[in-house]
Amino acid sequence: MLKPNPRELLKSSFKSIFKNKTRTLLTSLGIIIGVTSVILLISIGNGLKSFINDQFESLGSNFVIITAGKIFNEEGGFNNEGAYTTFSFNKKDVTTLKRKLKNINAVIPASQSTVKAKFQDTIKESMLIATTTDYAIYRKQKLKQGRWFNESEEKKESKVIVLGSKIAKNLFQNTYPINKKVSIGSANFKVVGVIEEMGGTLGGPSFDDYIYTPLETGFNFMENDGIQSIDIAVKNKEDIALIKKEVEKILLENYDEDKFSVFDQNKILSSINTILNTLTIALTGIAAISLVVGGIGIMNIMLVSVTERTREIGLRKAVGAYPRAILLQFLFEAVILSVFGGSIGILLGSIGTIALSNFFPAKVTIESILLAFGVCCAVGIIFGVAPARRASKLSPIDALRYE
Amino acid sequence: MPTLLQLKNVTKTYGSQNTKFDALKNINLKIDSGEFVSITGPSGSGKSTLMHIIGLLDNPTSGKVILGNENTSKLKENQLASLRNKSLGFVFQQFNLLSKTSSLDNTILPLLYSNIPQKEHKKLGIKMLDKVKIKNKASNTPAQLSGGEQQRVAIARALINNPKIILADEPTGNLDSKSGKNIIKLLKRLNKEGKTIILVTHDLSLAKLANRMITIKDGQIKC
Repeated sequence: MLKPNPRELLKSSFKSIFKNKTRTLLTSLGIIIGVTSVILLISIGNGLKSFINDQFESLGSNFVIITAGKIFNEEGGFNNEGAYTTFSFNKKDVTTLKRKLKNINAVIPASQSTVKAKFQDTIKESMLIATTTDYAIYRKQKLKQGRWFNESEEKKESKVIVLGSKIAKNLFQNTYPINKKVSIGSANFKVVGVIEEMGGTLGGPSFDDYIYTPLETGFNFMENDGIQSIDIAVKNKEDIALIKKEVEKILLENYDEDKFSVFDQNKILSSINTILNTLTIALTGIAAISLVVGGIGIMNIMLVSVTERTREIGLRKAVGAYPRAILLQFLFEAVILSVFGGSIGILLGSIGTIALSNFFPAKVTIESILLAFGVCCAVGIIFGVAPARRASKLSPIDALRYE
Repeated sequence: MPTLLQLKNVTKTYGSQNTKFDALKNINLKIDSGEFVSITGPSGSGKSTLMHIIGLLDNPTSGKVILGNENTSKLKENQLASLRNKSLGFVFQQFNLLSKTSSLDNTILPLLYSNIPQKEHKKLGIKMLDKVKIKNKASNTPAQLSGGEQQRVAIARALINNPKIILADEPTGNLDSKSGKNIIKLLKRLNKEGKTIILVTHDLSLAKLANRMITIKDGQIKC
């Protein structure tokens, strides 16, 4: 019994495929486009995830965060309705938490309100965050100019503000902002500091647009004096889960469960990652449709090739090729076409990702390359089987007689 | 000389009940090792069908084909392929060379399906091309060869596995008379070297060059 020599069959398949270079390239085009899109989309998804992780890391870790409203749903995603709650905490809650919680560094309340800030003729909309000096310490705020407001200003309810880098630039252009007065509502605030740029938040409100003022000062000028969020700076990371439970217990003494959320950054991160993963899978799925289209293209050309090469198949059978050798030869040809297209797609996708990474967080991973390569092999096999089977089943004499 | 090929009561029928047609009727034939036999007859006489059955490319409807000591009618497709690869060499009227493929690669095609180690393929291919006096065109593709040269490459391909029988189906049909004569000369030389040659042709003058001429008419051997 003769044995097929897969290596030689593969070589023979290579020769057959590259006899017609233009056709090979055009046939692989569907796969090239599909793989390029898959690589690009996975790279963007991964890039976004690592960008967001880095952003969270830069904001400081070891926090238990309390916000008004139920902001997570049961599946771990975000609960839109929770974001529009009218509920807020009060100063008494902050005092209680400070008194009852152990192993913490600080309890940092924050109240926020949308305001219009004016300097000379420039008016910009911004978010005014009223908070404490601890915010700057534990949220690792780095200042580009000036300083953060101090405890004395906090106590005196001084009208001082610290600006995010973007709002500072928008209001002051080239003017040095420190000690200048900015009008917010009916009052004038003295700028004491400008925070270093923190980077974009991908379409959401940017920290660089925020204005910070002492808590009590803020209450004097905001329409409400409610506290929308409280950050608890925890001494040790290991205590986060325990402190979360304690916080919930303390708050449940006064409020219903659905009035507030207690979480740590990992919870937000995992929620964002859940959304990003779903998005990446959905988009990659759409891109994968072109891989199927590419596969159908390969099947079509392979069927044409089997018809065109009927006499060749007859000859191969006459000189001793048995059905499995013919089947393998045509299957190899389909897989070579697919893998050839896939390799070009991987190359183009990687180059595209590198180019894109100048403007957008994108990162090629070995997993996405392996996935794309695996899918290409699978597409080649799946769409190559039918033409290969047809070739292998041809009767040698009918094939030799074919005109 | 021992009998190399034997056909016993071979019948080949095409079509179904209403359109039934016997291409071969009760053929009995013995070919000895080292013979040069020609099969001739008018168009549609059944000579090509006979050649396909002898070449194990087609199965008889009834009867036996015995190659060496083996009754081939009981063999499966893979075993038939193996036997074609080892024992038979085909030369076709249309040459049937792979386009855009060098003479050498065309010559060694049957080795792809044999047990001969790959490192010997090239050497054997060159040897066969030398034998048919076309070694200098080893790297040429069929498009770069004349008809006669292409048929020489086809003969080299038929010889590569050192088969017992060379089956030539109208090998000069697509050639001018000079090239045709040269191909017949080459076949005669191969016969002298010990190969059994079965030549199928409708050309009587060529058929007469064989040691034995078999005439077939209406699917039956006449002499």
